[in-house]
Amino acid sequence: MKHYTIEEAKKIITGYDGPHIRIMEVCGTHTHDIFKLGIRSILPKNIELISGPGCPVCVTPVGYIDEALMLALEKKAILCTFGDLIRVPGTKMSLADARRDDADIRMVYSPMDALLLAQQNPDKEVVFLAVGFETTTPITCLSIKHAEKLGVKNYSILTANKTMPNAYMALKDSADAFLYPGHVNAITGEAICREMLEKEGVSGVIAGFTAEELMDAIAVIIVGLQSGKPFFENCYKRVVREDGNVKAMAAIDEVMEAVDTEWRGLGIIPMSGLKLRDRFAAYDARKKFELPDLKGKPNPACRCGEVLQGKCKPSDCKVFGTGCTPEHPVGACMVSDEGACSAYYQYGGAF
Amino acid sequence: MKNEVVTLAQGAGGKQTSQLIHEVFAKHFSNPEFTADDAAVLSLGDGKIAMSTDGFIVSPFEFKGGNIGKLSICGTVNDLACMGAKPEYLTCAFVIEEGFPIAKLEEIVTSMEETAKKVGVRIVAGDTKVAGKGQVDKIFITTTGVGRLTPGVNTSGALARPGDCVIVTGDIGRHGCTILLERENLGIEADVTSDCAPLWDAVEAVLSATHDVHVIRDATRGGVGTVLYEIAEESNVGITLDAKNIPVEGAVEGVCGMLGLDPLYLANEGTMVIVAPESEKDKILEALRKIDHTKKAAVIGTVSSDMPKKVVVTTEIGAKSMIPEPGGELLPRIC
Repeated sequence: MKHYTIEEAKKIITGYDGPHIRIMEVCGTHTHDIFKLGIRSILPKNIELISGPGCPVCVTPVGYIDEALMLALEKKAILCTFGDLIRVPGTKMSLADARRDDADIRMVYSPMDALLLAQQNPDKEVVFLAVGFETTTPITCLSIKHAEKLGVKNYSILTANKTMPNAYMALKDSADAFLYPGHVNAITGEAICREMLEKEGVSGVIAGFTAEELMDAIAVIIVGLQSGKPFFENCYKRVVREDGNVKAMAAIDEVMEAVDTEWRGLGIIPMSGLKLRDRFAAYDARKKFELPDLKGKPNPACRCGEVLQGKCKPSDCKVFGTGCTPEHPVGACMVSDEGACSAYYQYGGAF
Repeated sequence: MKNEVVTLAQGAGGKQTSQLIHEVFAKHFSNPEFTADDAAVLSLGDGKIAMSTDGFIVSPFEFKGGNIGKLSICGTVNDLACMGAKPEYLTCAFVIEEGFPIAKLEEIVTSMEETAKKVGVRIVAGDTKVAGKGQVDKIFITTTGVGRLTPGVNTSGALARPGDCVIVTGDIGRHGCTILLERENLGIEADVTSDCAPLWDAVEAVLSATHDVHVIRDATRGGVGTVLYEIAEESNVGITLDAKNIPVEGAVEGVCGMLGLDPLYLANEGTMVIVAPESEKDKILEALRKIDHTKKAAVIGTVSSDMPKKVVVTTEIGAKSMIPEPGGELLPRIC
C-alpha cells in the first residue's frame, strides 16, 4: 500500500473532484485532532467529515449520570471518575453540581487509584464510574481482579463500558468509509475491521494521531473510494498489530461479558456494552446498591444525538454557543475536549 | 534548631519570634537595608518606580527545578522586569503551618537568598506568621517588590500593533507540567524540570539592544495561550501563530498528549512573551540567545489587524485553526 507525506496527502484531498463522500471518525481524539489541525478547513465541498460516537463521555446516557448521582447523594458513596464526566448534565444536575452540595466525588486518572482509595477508607463505599471503550476497560477489569485478590469489599464499579464492533454495524449506512480509532485497534487488533469489510462490504482505515498519520489515512480513504471497491488498510502499523493486545482482551473477557446498552443519541445497540460477569457480581454497584432502572431525560433543546450520528452539525443546534458552551454545557458533546460540539466551539468558531 | 519544627510560639511576637527571625531570616537576608525596625527606609533616586505584589501557595512546595522560595522571588522580580523595571527591593511575608520543619524553612530561605543575589535585588523587610495545624497548607509566601523603570521604555499589553512579531523566550509549559507530575496520583514518569528563573537579566539584555519593545509579559498561570489572548484583547489586534515554531520539549509534549492538555495553557515561571516591531526581531533574539535560560527564544507568530481579539494558528498541515480561548480549567495549585 502506498503512504503519503503531508504535502502529497494535501494534494489528493484538496484536488478531489469526484462524487460527494462521507468519512466518519469514531474516536474522540481524532475529532479533537482533526479540528486542532484545521483539516476541515482544507476539505473541498464534496468531502464531508462526520464526528461519530467515539467520545466515551459523549455517548454516556443521561440515565447513567442519574444513577451516579443517586450513589453519591443517597447512598453516600465516594465516587471516583475521569475528569470530563463530572460536568455532564444528568436529568436534574451534574456531578459537579452534586459536589457543591457536599457529595464526595473525586477525579482519578486510573481505576487503580479508586481501588487504593477504597483501601484507605475501609468504612466508606467507593464506586468507580466505569465508562470508556476497549482502551480503558482492561485496567478497570484489572482493578476488579486486584480487589478480589486483596479482599477489598468496599469497592465496586458502575459499568457503562462500550465496545465498538456493534456500533459500527449500527452506523454503517451513515458514512462511505470509517476512520477507525487507532487506540482501540491497538487493543482489539484488525479483525473487527476485516470483518466489516468481508461481511458487510464496509470500507475503512485504521488511523494514527499525528498530522502525518491523519492526513495519510484520509488520503488513503479518498484513493480507495475512487477505486470503487470496498477496502481496508491499517495506516497505523507502528502501533496496531494484526491480533492487537491479546492479554488486554483476555483480561476483559475474564471479568466482563457483552450486554445490550444505551448510547446517547443512538438508543440501545444490541451487545455493544459490557457488564461484570456473575462471578464478580459483588463488585457491581447496580446490584450492590439495588439501583432502580433510571431512565434519564435529556434536555429537549440539545441535539447531541443527531450530532453523534452525523445527521447535523454542532452549529445547526439552536443552543450551540449560546445556551450551550464549554463553561455551561447542555449536552455531553460540549463537555469533553473530545466532543464534537466542544471541538467545533473551541477550534472551529471563526472558520 | 536543625531538627526542630515551627511552633505557634514562634509566631507570637515574643522572644521565640525574634530567635526565628535572627537564626533563619536575618542570617540569609542580611544587607545594609535589612531592618529590624517597623519599616525599611530606602532611597530610590529620581524617576519612576514600578511596584508589584504576589502570593505563592504552590503545592508541592518543592519541585524539580525549584521550590516555593525561589518561585516567590522569581514571580515578583519577573513582574517588575516585564514592566522594564530593574528590581531593587523586596519584602516578604511568610505564613507557616505549625509543625513545619525548620530545616525545610531554611532550605526555602536559602533559595530565596541565592535567587535574590543573582538578580541583585535586596530583601529589606519581612513578616512571619505561624498558623495552627490545618489552617494553611505547610507554607505560603507573599513578596512585594519595587523596581526602577528604565527611562525611555514603555511596555503594556495594549501596545501590540499590526506588523509586530511575537517572541517566546524559551520552550513552553515546563513549570505547569512539572507540578502536575509531582502530584502523587498521576503515575506518569517523565523527565521535566520547571523553568523557574528570574528574568531581569534577559529583559535588561533586550532593553540594551533596543527600547522599541511593545509588550513584555511573563506567561505564568494560564500559560502563553492566556497571555496571547490578553494581548489580543487589550490591543484589539489579531495574533497568528505558526505551530511548527512553538518550542515545546519532547517530554512536555508527551505528557500533554497523555493527559489531553495543551502546552500553550500550561504555566511557565521563567518564560516571557515579547511583542516588538518586526525590525527589532533579530536584535532581540540575539540578546536573548546569549543568556542561558532564554537561549531557546523563538519567533512564534505575528500581529495583524485581521480577526481582532482572536488568536489563530497555522497548523502543521498549513491550515488555519483557532487557539481555544482560555477557560476555567480544574488544574491544581501551581504558583
